[in-house]
Amino acid sequence: MIYLIILVVIIALYIFGFFNKLKTTQVRIKASIQEIGNQLKRQANLIPNLVDSVKGYMTHEKGIFNQLTDARKSIDQAVKTNDPKALDKSQDLINKVLGSIKVVMESNPEIKASNLVSNLMNELRDTADKLMYSRRTLIDLTADYNTAISTIPGLWIAPLMGFKEEKGLATPTNTDQLEVSEDETKNPKVNLN
Amino acid sequence: MINVYEQVNQNKFKSGLIISLFIVFISLAVYFISRSFGYGNEYIYFALIISFFMSGASYFWGDKIVVGLNNAKPVNRQEFFDFYTVTENLSIANGIPVPKIYVIDSPAMNAFATGRDPDHALICATTGLLQKLNRTELEAVVAHELSHIKNYDIRLMMLVSVLVGSLTILINSITRMSFFGGRSRNKENNNPIIAIIGLILIIFSPIIAKLIQLAISRRREFLADASGVKLTRQPQGLISALEKISTDHNKLETASTATASLYISNPFKGNKVASLFSTHPPIENRIAALKEML
Repeated sequence: MIYLIILVVIIALYIFGFFNKLKTTQVRIKASIQEIGNQLKRQANLIPNLVDSVKGYMTHEKGIFNQLTDARKSIDQAVKTNDPKALDKSQDLINKVLGSIKVVMESNPEIKASNLVSNLMNELRDTADKLMYSRRTLIDLTADYNTAISTIPGLWIAPLMGFKEEKGLATPTNTDQLEVSEDETKNPKVNLN
Repeated sequence: MINVYEQVNQNKFKSGLIISLFIVFISLAVYFISRSFGYGNEYIYFALIISFFMSGASYFWGDKIVVGLNNAKPVNRQEFFDFYTVTENLSIANGIPVPKIYVIDSPAMNAFATGRDPDHALICATTGLLQKLNRTELEAVVAHELSHIKNYDIRLMMLVSVLVGSLTILINSITRMSFFGGRSRNKENNNPIIAIIGLILIIFSPIIAKLIQLAISRRREFLADASGVKLTRQPQGLISALEKISTDHNKLETASTATASLYISNPFKGNKVASLFSTHPPIENRIAALKEML
C-alpha cells in the first residue's frame, strides 16, 4: 500500500515539475517579446537624434568649406590681376574663415566641431543605453514575479493573497516585428548607383 | 541551444554541488585528523580563528591593498568615457550600486573586481584592455566582473580559503606537536583504523582541499560568464573579448593572489601546469559554453 502512495507522489511531482517548466517558459517567451519592444523603443528614440546631429554637423561643415573655397578663389583672382584692393578683399574673406575654424597648416585641416558632435552622439547613445537597461530590469523582475505566481505551488497560494499578473513593459504583439513577411525572406540586392 | 536563464541555473546548481562536497570533505578531514590524534575541538577553533585573521586582511582591505599594489588610479568620466558609462549602465541592469572604478596603466589586458559585498565593491581594468576592446566587448567584460560582485564570489572564495587555510594550520600544528612529543590527553582514541585514516588525510587533505577550492573557482567563473551574458544578452561580445585577451602576450606583472580579487582571465597564464591547478577554466571551454547560447 505504501508503495502505491509513493508511486502516486512521484508521478504527481513529475507532472507538477513538467507543468512548472512549461509555465516558466511561457512567462519567458512573453518577456522576450517585451525585450524586442525594449530595443525598438531604444531605436526609435536614438536614431532620429543621431541623424539630426549628423545633419547639423554637415550643414556646419558645408558652410565652412564653402567659405574656404570662396576665399581661395578670390586669392587666385587677386594674385592673377595683381590688384591691391582685390588682395585686401580676399584677406578679409580669409580672416572670416579663420575666425570660424582653427586650421592646422598641413594637408589636413583639423575641424574641432567633429569632436563635439561625436561627443554628443556618444552621450545620446549612453542615455539610450541607460534607459534600455532600466527597462530590462523591469522586464526581468516582472518575469520572475509572473513565474512565481503561475507555477505550482504559487499558482494556488497567490490568488488567496491577491497577487495578480504584472504587465511589465507592455508591448503590442500584432505588429510586423513578430512576423516575417515573404518579401523579407528574399535576399536583398544592393544597388549603389 | 541553451538560453541564458538555463545556463545560469545550471551553473548555480553545479557550484552548489561542489561547495557542498567541499564542506563535507573539510568537516570530515578536520574531524578525523583531530580525533585520530586525540585532540579536542579547541584546536579546530584556534586554526579557524588564525586563518580568518590571515584572510581577513585581504577581505576587509583587499580593495585598498590592490589599488596600492598596482598603482591604480581612479577614473574620470571624460578621459575614460566608455569604461565609466558602461559600468554605470550595467550596474543599473544588475541592480547594484555603482562600484568604485579604477584603471591600471599597463599594456596587459585584464580586469578584476573585488569587494566583500556590492556596497563595498571595486572594479579595475588595465589601459591595455580599454584600448584594445570596443564598447560591446568592454560591456561583456564589465558585466562578467559585476556578476562576480553580485554573486558574492569574493566573499565565497574568501570563506573557502579560510577553511582550506584552517585545515592546513590544523595539520601543521598537530604534526609539529606530535613530533615534539606533546601527545594526547584522552587515551580513548586508540583505534588503529582512525589513526590510519588520519595519517592519509594529513598527507593528502591539503592538496585535495586545494583542488576542490580551484574547482569552485572555475565553476564560479562559468557562472560569472553566464550571468554577464544574462545582463548584456550578447554572447558574441564576451566571445570576441575572450579571444582578444587570450591572444595577447602581455602579462600583468603586479597580479597577486594576496588581494582576493577576481580577474577576467588568469593573470598567471605563463605557467603551463595542468588545468586542474588553474583558477580559471581554459578559454576554449569558456568560449564553447558561450557559443551554446548563441
